[in-house]
Amino acid sequence: MTLEVKNLVKTFDSRKILNNISFKVQNGETLGVIGFSGSGKSTLLKIIAGILYEDSGDIIFPKDSEVAMAFQYSALFDFLSVYDNIAFPLVERKEFRGKYSQDEISKIVHEKLKMVGLEGIEEKYPSELSGGMQKRVGFARAIVTNPNIILYDEPTAGLDPVTSTMIENYIVQLKKELNAACVVVTHQLSTIKRAVDKVIMLYQGDIVFTGSVDDLLSGVNPYARQFVSASIQGPMNIAT
Amino acid sequence: MFELNKTLTYQSLVLFWKQIKDFLITLGEIGVNFSRVARYILGLRINVSETIEQSKRFAFDSLPISLTIVGMTSVIIAMQLAPELARQGGASYTGMLSALVMVRELAVVMSGFAIISMVGSSFASEVASMAVTEQLSAMKVLRVDPIEYLIVPRFCAGVLFMPVVFIISAFFGLACAGFVSNWTADLSLLNYVTSMWHGLYVRDIFIAILKSSFFGGTIALISCSCGYSTRGGAKEVGLATTKAVVWSFLAIAMWDFVFASIFYL
Repeated sequence: MTLEVKNLVKTFDSRKILNNISFKVQNGETLGVIGFSGSGKSTLLKIIAGILYEDSGDIIFPKDSEVAMAFQYSALFDFLSVYDNIAFPLVERKEFRGKYSQDEISKIVHEKLKMVGLEGIEEKYPSELSGGMQKRVGFARAIVTNPNIILYDEPTAGLDPVTSTMIENYIVQLKKELNAACVVVTHQLSTIKRAVDKVIMLYQGDIVFTGSVDDLLSGVNPYARQFVSASIQGPMNIAT
Repeated sequence: MFELNKTLTYQSLVLFWKQIKDFLITLGEIGVNFSRVARYILGLRINVSETIEQSKRFAFDSLPISLTIVGMTSVIIAMQLAPELARQGGASYTGMLSALVMVRELAVVMSGFAIISMVGSSFASEVASMAVTEQLSAMKVLRVDPIEYLIVPRFCAGVLFMPVVFIISAFFGLACAGFVSNWTADLSLLNYVTSMWHGLYVRDIFIAILKSSFFGGTIALISCSCGYSTRGGAKEVGLATTKAVVWSFLAIAMWDFVFASIFYL
């Protein structure tokens, strides 16, 4: 087991965003987290990444784990080139300072760019790249330290279907190559079908569905059925 | 039916309380950031290349505007002071008074204002933009502390390079005042310089350098802190920048008062 979330609770302004959330993700497995906007998916990811603090509960993973996150809008450092963005943790992180030579860093950066199918753009700046390319550079930066837990926040949001498929393929490929435990927050059914092994669904801070992708698509669970069929009618009130 | 929460007094009080709360929160954030910055500096964890980069910005970006403001102000003061002193028979005091005013107050405060407008506002908007586009979050996930990477170098640049800006501006201001005195009151440059030396005290120069160092550090810390705590979007980036400028002006006025009270009272 690589990642376990246990009884996680998070409240914002007396509104419970996450209510006793628990799940496990194994090495080489991808968990999809779905739900309407505002259901707490991104908050969950940010707590696992250490950006936000939980009110109570535990995030459990082995001490030497390396957690990486690919952000919804890539969050590339706009004042740095693609090369410097990817090399950033190797150069600036306390425990890596002086550990790698310039040649080693260059080799690692090129290797990671190759993994996401982007070569020859090292000198470009994020503003010169398309949305899909920015996402892939974000992936390359996330995996530069060979993480064993990778978090993806809406990896295909705002992308055309073809680029989305490419991104989904990279999610699967990176998971295999790094044998990582992955958590993908998404609204896209295509991402769930292509890149995810099991799914949880959040609604008003609670997990209302847990199961495989097939279970989700089978329509047995009324919450899952409403989500998959994109129906206004159902147990979930979209106004909330 | 009478509803307390709809009365103007109640709403004014709520608004007033919100302002007080915002003030205290900002003050707390600046205090916390300062303690974290101090911890990095005391632990000698200073990113030298980034500090050099920020120092260049601090010195070069603000110098033209600082020279213009200090130069213009000293010209205006000399234009009024020199002829009046000459009429009263005290033309030989022009240099001394200019030096006193310039070194003790004018050059340091005016270059502080220049730095707030050129560098402080840019620090605040830059860090705020990074906050709203999740770049600060990305930095945290990559286990690089944004305080260490962003604020410590800017703070060090402020502490080290605001005195440089001040010294250059003060020399420029004194030179401008000398030429204007020569032009408006027929005071020879030699007389001006001789008089100026009587108004230049080593103690004053050291106090002004120390004060400018405090100003520089404070401007950098406040500007970065206002940007660092920004949440939301473009509107909030603008608000954070305004807040940084207003707070920096207030802080400079307060530091100036503290220094005057300690050293000249």
